[in-house]
Amino acid sequence: MDNLSLWLLFFAAGLGTFLIRLSFIQLHASSAALIERSKPILALLPPGILAALCMPGIVFTRPTNEYQIDPLQILAALVTILIAKYSSSVFWPVVGGMLCLWLLRAYG
Amino acid sequence: MANHRQAFWFGVRDLLPLVSGVLPFGLIAGATGVSMGMTPEMIMGMTVLFFAGSAQLAAYSLIQDNAPFIIIVFTVLVINFRFVIYSASFAPLLGPLKKRYRLPLTFMLSDQVYGLCSMPEQQAKSKGERVFYLAGVAISMALSWFISVALGVALGANIPASWSLEFTIPLAFLAMLVTTITNRRLFLVACISALCAIAFQLLPYNIGFIAAVVAGVSCGLLLPNLLQKRVGKHG
Repeated sequence: MDNLSLWLLFFAAGLGTFLIRLSFIQLHASSAALIERSKPILALLPPGILAALCMPGIVFTRPTNEYQIDPLQILAALVTILIAKYSSSVFWPVVGGMLCLWLLRAYG
Repeated sequence: MANHRQAFWFGVRDLLPLVSGVLPFGLIAGATGVSMGMTPEMIMGMTVLFFAGSAQLAAYSLIQDNAPFIIIVFTVLVINFRFVIYSASFAPLLGPLKKRYRLPLTFMLSDQVYGLCSMPEQQAKSKGERVFYLAGVAISMALSWFISVALGVALGANIPASWSLEFTIPLAFLAMLVTTITNRRLFLVACISALCAIAFQLLPYNIGFIAAVVAGVSCGLLLPNLLQKRVGKHG
């Protein structure tokens, strides 16, 4: 692809992505009733989304285009879960999980 | 006003640990563009226009494969389709804002912003504080993403792969996940969604992600009621 079509591609994809982000926010006034009715659904979304975001990256080794399970990553994730239960910040669970992964890789 | 400023800086503070995952990802995005022979201006232009890392990496590989223009745009939009959910979730918060705040904040919505802003601690705060918190997260996330890609362009992806720094991304979302699970119904949603995300991992266009969220939320809506009816019948 030549540079001009690449720029066109970036603008098209960028504009489309922005419109997706803007959709409900822009139509807020007219979609307020719909969003109000969807409150029970929206309340269930955070755990659904966060689980779908993190699970493939934890269970499988990178690149995640094939099923190759990494047991050490899963153990590290368990440590993160344990720490997250007692810490409201994201920092310490991540530090604990990474330390666990490095230790397991070095001595496992 | 002081509260608002504080909320903004709390947002910045909470994002900082996530930079450890954003940085290697950005370095890869920058270095890949260079390896494909793109000029620094083009890579940074693409980075700013997309502001979506996984879609950018997918676009790179399609460009390399000489995929048709329309297919690449379509793929990017499908991968980014999850932003519709974020848009609906943040509509009550961002919708009423003035255009000059609404549009930039909307542009900077990302997984990290959604994750941090949907933690129960934030949900309990006032609207004003939540907006400023969101702004703090979003602006620092955007800056760290742009800087990471620029570093990738300038230096290449020089962090040793054996450090697995990109593993901090799923770990961070996992930690947020644990915090958002405050009752059994939410736990059920997370379990179903997690299982589906693993099972559907190989589906193209990030469809597995959407399918997992839909499956998890549907089960969360329907299963508890069904079970309750059952118990009711027996009792």
